[in-house]
Amino acid sequence: MGQAASYLYKDFSNCALRLGSCSPTAEMDASTTCSCVARRLISTGSIARWRILLSCLGQHYASRGIWKWNHPTRQPAHTAARHLTILVLVVNQLVRRISRRARGHHEAAAGEAAAAREVAMESPTSAASRPDFYDFLDRMRRPAAADLFRSIKSFLVSFSFHEPNAEEDGGKVQAFLTEMEGAIRDHPLWANATNQEIDHALEGLEKYIMTKLFDRTFGTSAEDAITDMEISQKIGLLQQFVKPHHLDIPKVLQNEASWLLAVKELQKINSFKAPREKLLCIMSCCQVINNLLLNISMSNDRTLSGADEFLPILIYITIKANPPQLHSNLKFVQLFRRETKLVSEVEYYLTNLISAKMFILDVNARSLSMEETEFQKHMESARLVTQISVASPSSSQGLPTSARARKEEADVAGSKFPFMDSETESLSPEEVKQLHDLYRQVVSRYTLLSKALTKLSIDEDQLLSSVDDS
Amino acid sequence: MGCSSSVPARSTGGLNTVNNDSSSATDSKDLRAKLVLLGDSGVGKSCIVLRFVRGQFDPTSKVTVGASFLSQTLALEDSTIVKFEIWDTAGQERYAALAPLYYRGAAAAIVVYDITSPESFSKAQYWVKELQKHGSPGIVMVLVGNKADLHENRSVSSQDAQEYAEKNNMFFIETSAKTADNINQLFEEIAKRLPRPTAS
Repeated sequence: MGQAASYLYKDFSNCALRLGSCSPTAEMDASTTCSCVARRLISTGSIARWRILLSCLGQHYASRGIWKWNHPTRQPAHTAARHLTILVLVVNQLVRRISRRARGHHEAAAGEAAAAREVAMESPTSAASRPDFYDFLDRMRRPAAADLFRSIKSFLVSFSFHEPNAEEDGGKVQAFLTEMEGAIRDHPLWANATNQEIDHALEGLEKYIMTKLFDRTFGTSAEDAITDMEISQKIGLLQQFVKPHHLDIPKVLQNEASWLLAVKELQKINSFKAPREKLLCIMSCCQVINNLLLNISMSNDRTLSGADEFLPILIYITIKANPPQLHSNLKFVQLFRRETKLVSEVEYYLTNLISAKMFILDVNARSLSMEETEFQKHMESARLVTQISVASPSSSQGLPTSARARKEEADVAGSKFPFMDSETESLSPEEVKQLHDLYRQVVSRYTLLSKALTKLSIDEDQLLSSVDDS
Repeated sequence: MGCSSSVPARSTGGLNTVNNDSSSATDSKDLRAKLVLLGDSGVGKSCIVLRFVRGQFDPTSKVTVGASFLSQTLALEDSTIVKFEIWDTAGQERYAALAPLYYRGAAAAIVVYDITSPESFSKAQYWVKELQKHGSPGIVMVLVGNKADLHENRSVSSQDAQEYAEKNNMFFIETSAKTADNINQLFEEIAKRLPRPTAS
């Protein structure tokens, strides 16, 4: 505890120093952020989290050059003083909170519950899950639940003694949830409760624990990050040339409007932290597909073909959606969703998305019924388009930019400009389409560049000639 | 709690019910069995299941089901109630490599071929070998020749199939999803062959 507090003081004093010397224009901005941070800090008080946030904030401003360490400015003394006052207030609040927690006081528990409620409000949840979670938190706040709350707390604290390891953490969480199921069943607060009420309490517990442990358990290993990136990049390429017929999706089933709905459901997966809610996104996506299949079979008097039709559509939708951190999300749900809930229908549809992921990872010419040369050509031109595109795809959230930049560099060095040597007459309609796409991107890039140049008041001609000279 | 109900019913409500039946407090007489369907595309895998699931219902009732996952309970004469959870797989060649994800942990597998298509029969043999190598130990395997109503176009003799099945220690049956011939017998036979949980 003492160490945590001293860290805090160090962070705050750094922050205060920086704030004290910030430039007048940035002052307002920094001040708002600071008071915002302070308010959040007071209301929740999760120390580690806010320490990280503060240092991030510091780095952010430092990198923007707002706080100039070596140039003390003529900043009015009272502004600096105001910042310091806010910070002192925050630190005092925190110290009080820390000592209270050390004594294991009930109030701290209430504070934590309040924090959890805030988490609940932050994450948009399905209407059905909200009341459960509030009910869970309400019960947890009652003095009678103090023993349960203590075991939850000590369970959460126990994680800080070990390095994150998704598989081990998963095992611990599963064991704890099973243990707590028994504890809740025998607890006076849940006396005479129906199975469903107990189930709701466990859902609440799972959500609470996993929201708390999210940063530690979700996509933390380097391998996971690499796999996520690999899948996302591969999908980025496949998006550009894979058509429904490559996956055996018959024409009669092709319905872009419904597919878009399914795509949207799948893309929501990163809006949630609780495994159950992530799983719900997958289930909704599959439900949209199933409804589509059912409607088509009823209106066309066609027999349902089951997985022969379902899986190809799901794969196509996964490619269209390029869901963020697909691998990490699937792994997270598999490890941390309560085992007793990951059965039957739910397990089936989860398995389908896992197999869609596998298909995409291992995709080759044969699995798309293409000639090897054709496949390579498609991949090559798709790589080119991705490389040129100005805006990164909306779905490539969490993609480490440095790795991406490195890859781009390698690609630029490794490939020539296509079509430079080809005759206009010899271009196929498909190549013309590709060229047209490239043209659009070049134009929008050029427009952006020109704008940037005008802003920087650099003469374009002068710049071009200087480039030629070098 | 759908699994304890004795009337045949699809217990796992809609797709979006992540909170479907909780697995607690199941009767010892109740069996839950994961059943996987394998076979070339177009042999009528899902038709067989749809027949089985819908056949248990009033034919006039419109059951909304996703056709790739279905569940159905079956009451046996010895009063055991088996709840089948039927996992369909995509039969196209390009998806063959994904099948292990589906048959992992399955208690039973139905390998389906079309009696009018020798290719689908050799594909079925491929699946049998796969299951023998990688399936759960003790998995109940059934070989099903579907489209028995098209016997004038038959190109796989039932004797060949029967011999193959016996050699591989499988139950063999010819069905017609169209006329519903042998559909119930198929599932009853699987239910009978499932290992009963040892009383604990």
